[in-house]
Amino acid sequence: MFSKILIANRGEIALRILRACRTLDIGAVVAYSEADRDSLAAQLADEAICIGPADARRSYLSAPAVISAAVVTGCDAIHPGYGFLSEDAGFADVVRAHGLTFVGPPAEVLERFASKEATRRLLEAHGLRTIPGSRMLRDEAHALEEADRIGYPVLIKPSAGGGGKGMRLIRTARELESTFKVSRSEAKAGFGDDSLYLEKYLDDNRHVEVQVAVDRFGNAIHMGERDCSVQRRHQKIIEETPSPALTDAARQELCSRAVRAVVEAGYENLGTLEFLVDAKGDAYFIEINCRIQVEHPITEMCTGIDMVAMQIKIAAGEPLGMTQADVVSEGHAIEFRILAEDPATDFRPQAGQVLGYLAPGGPGVRMDTHIYPGYEVPSYYDSLLGKLSVWAPDRAQAIARGDAALRELLVDGLSTNIELHRAILANEVFIDGKVTTNLLDRVGSAPFVAAGNR
Amino acid sequence: MPQDRQSGTAADGRAAPPATAKAPACGLDARTVRDHRAISNLADDLLPALIAKLAASGLGEIEVREGGWKARLRKPSGADDRRAAGRSSVDGHSVHAHGPGRGPAASLTHTAAEERDRLTRDEEEAEESANLPIVATSPAVGVYHPRKDLSVGMRVRAGDRLGAVDVLGVREDVVAPVDGVIGLSLAEAGEAVEYGQELIRIELPENSRSVEINGADREAAAVLGEA
Repeated sequence: MFSKILIANRGEIALRILRACRTLDIGAVVAYSEADRDSLAAQLADEAICIGPADARRSYLSAPAVISAAVVTGCDAIHPGYGFLSEDAGFADVVRAHGLTFVGPPAEVLERFASKEATRRLLEAHGLRTIPGSRMLRDEAHALEEADRIGYPVLIKPSAGGGGKGMRLIRTARELESTFKVSRSEAKAGFGDDSLYLEKYLDDNRHVEVQVAVDRFGNAIHMGERDCSVQRRHQKIIEETPSPALTDAARQELCSRAVRAVVEAGYENLGTLEFLVDAKGDAYFIEINCRIQVEHPITEMCTGIDMVAMQIKIAAGEPLGMTQADVVSEGHAIEFRILAEDPATDFRPQAGQVLGYLAPGGPGVRMDTHIYPGYEVPSYYDSLLGKLSVWAPDRAQAIARGDAALRELLVDGLSTNIELHRAILANEVFIDGKVTTNLLDRVGSAPFVAAGNR
Repeated sequence: MPQDRQSGTAADGRAAPPATAKAPACGLDARTVRDHRAISNLADDLLPALIAKLAASGLGEIEVREGGWKARLRKPSGADDRRAAGRSSVDGHSVHAHGPGRGPAASLTHTAAEERDRLTRDEEEAEESANLPIVATSPAVGVYHPRKDLSVGMRVRAGDRLGAVDVLGVREDVVAPVDGVIGLSLAEAGEAVEYGQELIRIELPENSRSVEINGADREAAAVLGEA
């Protein structure tokens, strides 16, 4: 096991990793940027080190800064959290070259799964159904030809992108003609890679993802699935497990198939396979996330597994120590991403000081956050203030607990999306478990909030 | 979840308790006057001098504090060519001249309203930081190696290399942020240092202007007197 881990991230996940380290009795050093000196993780850590200015490119995204910090503080591993360097194969490789361990898949595994398009083909070969799509697009003519073959509407997606960033919905050939060049230059600017591909767009789809863990010895488990269909502009805002879209039989089938495919394809460590589920209940694999995910707490609440601790143990070369039969998922859990966004200005991200903060409590309530009264939310990073997760024996009770907890949660000084969450919980489509990924954007988030306030 | 957003440099405020209460209206006028005076002083006197200094030096960025105010000048990255050619520091990182008072300092780009909100806490620090010298800080996280021939009292020019921080075998220069005289060393050779850590005090020569500089000068004289 490691003796000391450098936490190369910020916000709530830095704190989450710190907690896992303490549980495992591993030392931890929090690496922070100048803008995060007052963050809770930096304050609570036994050791913290400033690695650069607020600009993430020179701090959290700077491989030399992060690795140098690990070396001078005597760490033997680096936990990248999510985002930033968490799925960067080159970074994982350099970490290893400095005699340190990257907490995540080994560099060659990240490399194998780096391209979304290649990953789709790889896992298709191992038995996962994929959405009809194109290979990398050579040029506009090739794009038009492929779109004709797949059939409109299509999504144009950057191969190096993630989290819905840089992708566009195209309904006609004319739209594709006018968008192609823009998408290419956006991909180049946003991800340093202008590779694009097309994918058939399923109008009313649900986003369901399967959580897996694979150790170095090929032992593997799945920890069930999460439904992340409540999205605003391709960003998840509410996640729940189990998914109301799947029957027990379909869930079993999907999860077993997913874990078998990644083991055969040589995956290692924690991973999430994302699927789109169409109206008929057919699941199409879209991509794999080779990291701990924002929404992992709901899986932890239902399975009782500390997934960050598991991730660290796997990276340290320990066997999983459990089989699929040991994974028992009970009850229902829902996570609400609490974002500093102003519903009045079309959910523009907010920065500023948290004047007051009160966390909700009660049975089955968990709050993962880095904010506290007086904390200044910096404007340089994302707008996630924290994650409120609730667990209950069944979905209806989880919704009731969720609403009670949201009413109790107080974040003063900044605009947040708390009211939007309450409006969604009160909405019939959500209560019926029938939300599709396009619902919020089709109806509009503002009408949702307005309806909730009546 | 990509978290990268546009950059900047934040005011560094570990020590200061965030001020939540607004100042009473009666005190505000006096502050506004002081505010305006500080802005005029920065705009009319200090900034032109700094601009000239920045242009003449090889630096990419200069920052000077006066009381609760801070002025930071940065060359556009394209203007770095001359500097990059003459130095081993590759990624064009900036040089900060932080006063050791770690208070949230106001930047000139803030709106007047924001400034007033911040003023309460800035003022608490104004007294201290006005008398503090300028410090050369670490450009990166790594192992610090001061120049061997460095000694207290030595005169340096803005942009002079004072040492380096070893980042995984790549040396990033520690440079003097201003013309001045080497003062106290705040870190040992071979010590692990973090980004922005204060390494060497630079005392300022007598002909400099502005409140802060005069204050620092007195200290420089004191240091030299002892030596």
